[in-house]
Amino acid sequence: MFTLNISGNKKIFTFSTKLDTASCANMDVELMEALGTDSEEVEFDMSGVDYISSIFLRICTMVAKRIGVNKLRVTNSAPGVKKVFKIAGFDEILNVE
Amino acid sequence: MTDDSIIQTIMDNAVNAGAIFGQLDQEQTDRIVKAVYTAGFNNRIKLAQMAVDETKMGRFEDKVIKNVLATQLVYDDIKNVKTVGIISDDEVSGITEIAQPLGPIFAITPVTNPTSTVIFKILIALKTRNPIIIRPHSNAVNCSVEAAKICYEAALSEDAPENCIQWIPSCTREETQKMMAHKDMALILATGGGGLVNAAYSSGTPALGVGAGNVPVFIEKSADVKYAVSQIMSSKLFDNGTVCASEQAIIVEKDIAQSVKDELVNLGGYFMNPEETAKVSAVVFDSAKKVMSTVTMGKSAKFIAELAGITIPKEAVLLIAPLDGVGEKYPISYEILAPVIAFYVAENYQAAVNLCIDLNYHGGAGHTASIFSNDEKKIREFSMVMNAGRIVVNMPSSQGAVGAIVNTLAASLTLGCGSGGKNITTDNVTAKHLLNIQRIARKRVNQKFDKIDKSLYLNEAYNSEMIEKEYNKNY
Repeated sequence: MFTLNISGNKKIFTFSTKLDTASCANMDVELMEALGTDSEEVEFDMSGVDYISSIFLRICTMVAKRIGVNKLRVTNSAPGVKKVFKIAGFDEILNVE
Repeated sequence: MTDDSIIQTIMDNAVNAGAIFGQLDQEQTDRIVKAVYTAGFNNRIKLAQMAVDETKMGRFEDKVIKNVLATQLVYDDIKNVKTVGIISDDEVSGITEIAQPLGPIFAITPVTNPTSTVIFKILIALKTRNPIIIRPHSNAVNCSVEAAKICYEAALSEDAPENCIQWIPSCTREETQKMMAHKDMALILATGGGGLVNAAYSSGTPALGVGAGNVPVFIEKSADVKYAVSQIMSSKLFDNGTVCASEQAIIVEKDIAQSVKDELVNLGGYFMNPEETAKVSAVVFDSAKKVMSTVTMGKSAKFIAELAGITIPKEAVLLIAPLDGVGEKYPISYEILAPVIAFYVAENYQAAVNLCIDLNYHGGAGHTASIFSNDEKKIREFSMVMNAGRIVVNMPSSQGAVGAIVNTLAASLTLGCGSGGKNITTDNVTAKHLLNIQRIARKRVNQKFDKIDKSLYLNEAYNSEMIEKEYNKNY
């Protein structure tokens, strides 16, 4: 589902190829646990992800609310995924690179 | 115009012209269209000169070409299209299609392409037997009215109905709104600024509008750089950049960035430093309204440089702003209809396409995107993520988007932008969009539906799979 690497104050979450409804089913709980309460900076590395579901968008919102919108960066989005963030208006709220 | 009675007179004239027009057959209609095309074409040079003199925008030679597009190429595109009476008759389906006119069309025409847009809209209106009322941009009244008069006289010479073409030399915003909302107005063909197009959509009358452009051109690394740059230069400089489909930002992968830069400089591109970019931004962009400045629209690079107070080489014809972001902090990342263009270097293919998405959605959704590439897979990938009615490949975007010059898109000066531009179509608007198509539907019984036991639909025990099995039963 995802792997977590910690680099200094930054937590980098790397996700699997397809973030559909099924694969995101318990992700929110697990991700929030991994996030803890003291996350300074979080990166969602989207390398290799070619599909995201609405649940994943919600997870992005939850994480941004928990840690602050400026602390979450979504990186390495494939154009198809980038377009989803764009259409959904998330690139205006989150830092989508 | 001064009062409601004048509006009513114009509308009465148009309605009457439409009633008469409806009686003409295809041959009579085509004779009128040919006469108008011929007159427009034969006056292409005079009208181009008038447009440049009046609007002080663009280049005379290119205005001539725009008039050629609006006459010769549009005519060639529509001349054989059936637009009167029965246009298709299918024995198998039992459907016969009949083309009927819509009724009076209100045509709002722009300052950037004034005479060409007037002639274009008149040609497609007459081809479909619709009376048309031209409402020109206030800064292009004389040339627009002259174009309409030339077309009208030619139409009358082939017995077109009186008042089939009318024009309104001066029209306040309020009067324009009244015209648009008039109960007898059938359609608004709106080409102009966002406010006017929105007003057209809000009028209650069906409208075919256009959206704003902000065209990214991606030079992918498999492209022929020399060719790509030459095409971009010829497109962006055409009529001093007044075509809404002209390139607004060049995006290159870092591997080929230097060769693209060198080629741009070879052909008259001038790369501005950050200070020069800031000065030019201040004159080409109206930061209060968050749109391009009308002062520099269609002006030369030299004019803009002088206005901005920067010194450029005398051979420079295009001002290039290297940018590293998109949005309000970067005014040249907006649409600028002038020889000014943004330049971005992306780390790789993915980053380049993502940048194109940002630019595409930064005020140009639905309009046009451009790519130079020899990798068909990447061309398709790029096209899939762009929100653009037209994705032009290996061609100048200005000439590509308007069709009929370097591709087979319909020749048009009204480029639909789909829902991205709050338009109803992504098509290049042409005659076929100005018709009511009536369909005669003859009895052709759906045998599957006829034979199925209808009581099964009332039986809750039958789910969709079971019903489908019965429905598709091949006895």
